[in-house]
Amino acid sequence: MKVTVLLSAGLHPVSGRPCPAAVELQAIRLAHTLGTPELTGLHAGPAADAVRDALGQGLPRLLWLETAVEDDPLAGLVAALATDRPDLILAGRQAQGADDSGLLPYALAKALGLPIIADAVAIEPAGEGAVHVVQALPRGARRRVTVRLPAVVTVHPAAPTALPFAFAAARRGTVERRAGQAALRSGAAIDERPYRKRPKLIAKAAAGASAADRLKAATESAAGGGRLLVDPAPDEAAREIIAHLRELGVLRR
Amino acid sequence: MSAPAVSLVAMLYVLAVIAAVMMGRRVSLWRAGRPMQVDWLKGIQALPKRYLVDVHHVVGRDPFTARMHALTAGGLLAGSGLLLLAPLAGGFRLYWALIALLFAAMLAGGAMVRKRRTPKPARLSGGRFNMLPLLLIGYAAGCFLVALDAASGGWLWLLAWPGLWLAAAGGMGLVLQLDRGPMRHAFAGALHLVAHPRPGRFEGRRETALAPLDLEAPRLGVETPADFTWNRLLGFDACIQCGRCEVACPAFAAGQPLNPKKLIQDLAATIVPGGTNAAYAGSPYPHARAVAGVGGPQQAIIGREAMIHPDTLWSCTTCRACVEECPMMIEHVDAIISLRRHETLECGAVPEKAAPALAELRYADDAQGRPLVARTDFAAGVPLPLISARGEADILLWLGEGAYDMRHGRSLRALLKLLHLAKVDFAVLGPEEKDCGDLARRLGDEATFQRLAGDNIATLARYRFRRILTADPHALHTLRNEYPAFGGHYDVVHHAALLDELVAAGHLAPGALALADVTYHDPCYLGRYNGEVEAPRRLLDRLGLNRVEMERHGKRSMCCGGGGGAPLSDIEGETRIPDIRMGQAAATGAGIVAVACPQCTAMLEGVTGERPEVRDISELVLMAVEAAASPADNRAARQPEPVA
Amino acid sequence: MSTMRLRRDPRTERAAHRIDGTARPRFDLAAAAETTGGRLRRNPRAEVERMLVAGTSRRRLDRSQRSVSTPLHIAAPAETAAAPRLIVIEEPAFLVAVVPDAPGGRLTPHDRQMIGAARLLAEKGGAVLALLAEPCEEIGPAGADRVLLVEASTGYDPEGRSASIAMAVDGLGVRHALFPESVDGGDIARRVAADLGEALFAGAESIAANAVTRASRGRRVEQRRAPPRLISLAADAALPYAGAPREARALQDDPMPTVPTRRAILAAEIIPADPARVPLGEAGFVVSAGNGVTDFDGFRAVAAALGATPGASRVVCDAGLMPRAAQVGASGTVLEATCYFALGIAGAPQHLQGIARCEHVVAVNTDLHAAMIERAGLAIVADAQKVMPALLAALECETETTA
Repeated sequence: MKVTVLLSAGLHPVSGRPCPAAVELQAIRLAHTLGTPELTGLHAGPAADAVRDALGQGLPRLLWLETAVEDDPLAGLVAALATDRPDLILAGRQAQGADDSGLLPYALAKALGLPIIADAVAIEPAGEGAVHVVQALPRGARRRVTVRLPAVVTVHPAAPTALPFAFAAARRGTVERRAGQAALRSGAAIDERPYRKRPKLIAKAAAGASAADRLKAATESAAGGGRLLVDPAPDEAAREIIAHLRELGVLRR
Repeated sequence: MSAPAVSLVAMLYVLAVIAAVMMGRRVSLWRAGRPMQVDWLKGIQALPKRYLVDVHHVVGRDPFTARMHALTAGGLLAGSGLLLLAPLAGGFRLYWALIALLFAAMLAGGAMVRKRRTPKPARLSGGRFNMLPLLLIGYAAGCFLVALDAASGGWLWLLAWPGLWLAAAGGMGLVLQLDRGPMRHAFAGALHLVAHPRPGRFEGRRETALAPLDLEAPRLGVETPADFTWNRLLGFDACIQCGRCEVACPAFAAGQPLNPKKLIQDLAATIVPGGTNAAYAGSPYPHARAVAGVGGPQQAIIGREAMIHPDTLWSCTTCRACVEECPMMIEHVDAIISLRRHETLECGAVPEKAAPALAELRYADDAQGRPLVARTDFAAGVPLPLISARGEADILLWLGEGAYDMRHGRSLRALLKLLHLAKVDFAVLGPEEKDCGDLARRLGDEATFQRLAGDNIATLARYRFRRILTADPHALHTLRNEYPAFGGHYDVVHHAALLDELVAAGHLAPGALALADVTYHDPCYLGRYNGEVEAPRRLLDRLGLNRVEMERHGKRSMCCGGGGGAPLSDIEGETRIPDIRMGQAAATGAGIVAVACPQCTAMLEGVTGERPEVRDISELVLMAVEAAASPADNRAARQPEPVA
Repeated sequence: MSTMRLRRDPRTERAAHRIDGTARPRFDLAAAAETTGGRLRRNPRAEVERMLVAGTSRRRLDRSQRSVSTPLHIAAPAETAAAPRLIVIEEPAFLVAVVPDAPGGRLTPHDRQMIGAARLLAEKGGAVLALLAEPCEEIGPAGADRVLLVEASTGYDPEGRSASIAMAVDGLGVRHALFPESVDGGDIARRVAADLGEALFAGAESIAANAVTRASRGRRVEQRRAPPRLISLAADAALPYAGAPREARALQDDPMPTVPTRRAILAAEIIPADPARVPLGEAGFVVSAGNGVTDFDGFRAVAAALGATPGASRVVCDAGLMPRAAQVGASGTVLEATCYFALGIAGAPQHLQGIARCEHVVAVNTDLHAAMIERAGLAIVADAQKVMPALLAALECETETTA
């Protein structure tokens, strides 16, 4: 099976130095669960510093399409993938280094005419020409989707952690450098400034919610001030706990 | 010469030939290792001193064993050596009397060997070792009888003939043990002293720095025995399985699957093609993980299908207690790091929680990915001059990663206040300071270590300072002993030593503290790695504290469990190392454990339940100085403030 | 009995007694003037009365009722007496579409926030149009003026759904379309963007009529622009709509037709979370054991019976009584759970850091002054070791009666 992993020019969130995006490294690990695929990393961008380290984390070879900083990587990637025709294209949930909008895999799938499945945490072979993709849903639930290949699959951060970095493997891996395609990024002018963290708007006593919800939100403030039972009989304590948990909706039986 | 004497001498020559063959076989095995230049002439010249002084310095910690070894080895070597001269001197009865005397001494030694092993302490090995006292006594008794007969002029021929048989049986047994048995230590040990990989150890130098690894080498670290240099292989064969390392090892005590003695025996077993660990008869690895237990010179050492389980490798705290205790001068930690380097650099097989830490070190220069500017946050209100603003300072304060920790931040704040009080001209690198690389290096990630070392050395080269001060012995060791290999030569001083200096010079005037008894816990990287055990004690004594010692202290102190990335490897055991160490501290009856290392602080503070308070030396000094400044509050200062 | 009473306002009272038309102020104190004004005043006696638990011989107070006495709620009956007026927009100047996840026809908090954000964008004469997969009762009160059913074809077919939504967005000339940046919502948003060949302003972190912002380049740069057509909204970035209910009129009688797609998805099944095996960080309900628990088989049975993911404090993990992966706290796992149930955990600061993001905490501990008791919504000062069997028995008893 031919598998291509899309790699982006990640940045470390604290130091700001180039570093591979964690979720793409997890994608490499998922590719390894498909037996021994013919695995290639694909990156389009002006530099491959960040991506090169992925060679130490399970990627044997990297194809680097060299483009200018202002180029849109999509056209080059589509051209490369259209000639290479991998069975499975893996990408992170959200690439880094540019807009971080997570849109590229979708645009790519559209351009290549391939189906796309989002948020994989596991991929298993499912007979000839198909795979089971296990998707992460909130709160630990999963959806198992069988999809016909070729397909694009994006990987969720809940997937197994990446293979650890091996310096010697990074040294051994090969980087093939090709000229990319020049394609100007489209889109309206966007004002940019240094990121500033905004406080989350905690809508505890959501005024738009029903009166019962408001009451609930007000009575169960997280900052304590709840009910206190001192030395109840164990049975009584158990009853109280069960009633309380049921009220919170976490006890489903 | 009498007939039994002639026969004995002839037999000895035969045994010598057999011994030479046995030794030759072993030597040929070592040749599988990588080449290593050894200064033979110097080594051989230094052998008597290395053996009589350095080895016996270690052996002598147990006087009974020292006497036992002196008698046995002395008698055996001198007696047998003299016997080989019989063709020249065989006619003199005095010669035979001397030989009889030597073998009598050996006989006494052999009896002591027997006595030491009944009942057998847990740290000693069984198996082939059970035969050893019998063989020694047999050979010594036999030779003694024959020599006595010859000395008496043949009067005791009735005793001499059985003696000859006894000597032959014992001698043959000993010679056959030269290959795999206990007697291997005799010739491998002697050669190990000659061709020791760290000859500086015998010249009083600090030989504790890890050797740099050539990152361009075709294979990084040690995968198979053949990747060790030949004199390291020789070192493994020198082990006599005395178990002193096992007793000293903190991981062994905590029930983690590491036993330095078994580790060395496993490594020695892999030298032989088709080797197995079946012959080992000492204590196993506690809670040993299942392994195939097979190996060979070209076979991988680490792995479930090989000789040593990875958990064994990652249990080590690199505290060097085993190295300190080893009478055969074996370098366990070097071997472990070499093996770790292969695991980390070639296979990426690091413990689960170590992988993210190494990744953060690679991309953010801090093991927890914290911003470098946040390193100085702990100072909060205490002025902390940046060297970048001035370009030079008398003392450069290296903060280390402990500065991020709230608890150790308090110790550092105390140090800062003391430096200000003593009017010391100091500055910090601030955001320019990167992790010193200690953690990466102990976890085998030499590539990251070398990058961090290079970056830090380049930063330090931009500024002028006389000395580097640090409160972190790990950083101290790395900067002082390991950076020189990369071109960074610094005068590094530990904060306990500097505070001692400042108090001695009168720049700080501590009052007498009336606190509970204090016991000082030596950090491995300060005491064992750097031999600094006196300055902290002197300093504590200057504070008027009543100091009590734990049983294990100074260079023989026990690790807190915080070194070598062990908290990250987090290998499961029965207990935690800091709990054991805190138990030892509590057993002294002390109310305060004085520490001098952020790792020790963190590990010992993590112990729950009733226990002595943990105080960094700088905190105690500050208390004393403040007590002196305001004698009225002296009483109030008696109780250490509680730690949140 | 009301727990509130009006605070007397002597000035207003006097003013009510004043006789009009005289130059000098004169008052007729005998006249029964209506006291109209005055601020509400707490009535502590009435509050306590209300908190009394009936049917027990010992006087017991149910303090969970405490906050009922805030003025907000006592004021509410007067307002809700007159049914809130329905707000109707007959001729909207433009449409702002929202695509809620609405699993099972119920809006998630994230959906409500998104509708709140859409109301901001629809301020000047616009209407909010909800594109729903199935009918939803709550959509009008939540703030939608118009509703259009975009029926999904059977099974999991994100491609078909997104194609229909794209058709609706394009066909109706929608000015803005908002999506929640959730697992499914984010997926649909990107599919629609790809279908329309437009950019998506993904994961907006603040939203107003004139500008939206989002993080990019690894959260180092903030992008800011006038709201584009396609926006997906991060969680907790906008407040839910708080106004009077909206009409939620069906835009057209028939639902949007589904767009046929080449079915590349051969099968799909939901695997519900198994609480015992969910990674702690993802679990919704965690029950955790600390020093106060000695019977760990019993503890695991309680966790299984509650359908909760088992966790533990550091001490317990250090002692090897629970696996290291179960450790909750700063050095273990930081939870995202809805509810955290702590059995015999005092609550070391590092442990509390690990549960900082938990919405509800239930604690059982012998120490009344433990930090965990302070933090808990329901705190029970008792021996966890005794409460656990009682819990098990009560849960078993319940399953028997239901069975």
